[in-house]
Amino acid sequence: MPYDLDLPDETAWRELVERFGYRMWAVARAFGLGPADAADAVQAAWLRLVESLPSIRDPERVGAWLVTTTRHEAARIGRRRAGAPLTGLPADIPAMDGDPAAALLSEDEGRRLWAAVDTLREPCRSLLRLIVTAPEAGYAQLARRLGMPIGSIGPTRIRCLRRLRTLLEDDHRRNDDP
Amino acid sequence: MSDDDYLLAALRIAAGSDPIPARVSADARAVYGLRLPGAVTAVPVGPPPHVGPGRRPPSGTRSGGSGTRSGGDGDPLSGFGADAIGVGGVGRRLGGGGRHGDGAPRLLRFAAGGVTIDVEVTIGDTHIDLAGQVRPAPGDGSRVEIRTPHISKIRFPSETGEFATTGLPHGWLSIVCHRPGLPPVATRWQCLRP
Repeated sequence: MPYDLDLPDETAWRELVERFGYRMWAVARAFGLGPADAADAVQAAWLRLVESLPSIRDPERVGAWLVTTTRHEAARIGRRRAGAPLTGLPADIPAMDGDPAAALLSEDEGRRLWAAVDTLREPCRSLLRLIVTAPEAGYAQLARRLGMPIGSIGPTRIRCLRRLRTLLEDDHRRNDDP
Repeated sequence: MSDDDYLLAALRIAAGSDPIPARVSADARAVYGLRLPGAVTAVPVGPPPHVGPGRRPPSGTRSGGSGTRSGGDGDPLSGFGADAIGVGGVGRRLGGGGRHGDGAPRLLRFAAGGVTIDVEVTIGDTHIDLAGQVRPAPGDGSRVEIRTPHISKIRFPSETGEFATTGLPHGWLSIVCHRPGLPPVATRWQCLRP
């Protein structure tokens, strides 16, 4: 969907927030940022966009740009929290590159994501559900709940996420090539 | 961040176990109102070399009275419009006497279109004070607007381009220099927190 950002159109802006706010939040949270820091990372991306409006030539790619900028800001905040010295002030805004990992996530896509989890075989389905809904559970707790050896939780988690990713990619291809 | 981290974060959000705070979406929508058509963005170029902690406060900056007004119509600045603490107040803070928080002023320099904006920011426990200078001095009829996403303060710079303000909330900040007949120069937004 194109966004005509040359026009002072508040509706187009609200559509951007509606459409991409979801995945920007996911990107910031995926960095392990707390809610306050994640909010700063997301807000940074919106402010960079308003600063950059005159230089944006490809409104179709604004979504990818917003997600990339959120990731960039989240990484910077993460480094600061980790006590790493900042190399100067915020760097330039990243190029408007594509971002395959961010090909998720609207509300509808969120539903498809969980539908894909439901098609996974056990123990993947239960393991992913537990990891998501009980993030504080350690591997020992997960192992007890699922009746698995604790040493296999890590490798199983990796394998299940890989399967989920494959399912989503297949799903994505089917939608692209009806 | 790995792809797996992202996928798990996406699952959490989609499951409703990590909803986007309403405030985050509201703030994102409100950013639209911060556009400055035609403005030149001044980018950070590192701290000014000639200033440091203990720098003398700007003198002769006109602020307060007719020199202070709220931002745009309907701007929720009414509580700030009369705060106009004189430059001496800011200067005492910046100079050490009234310092709070970690107390160390942060020095920022921005430049664009032949204009340099130096800012010395003191981040306290509850608010931010700042003093700055536009160079070359922007001349008669110019004004400096200190913006946060929710409030805006106007200062009329001194003959040497100095300005100051106090009592800003923590968070995002941008300084705009409006000059008659020329495009405004706005610093990139900076997030300032203790």
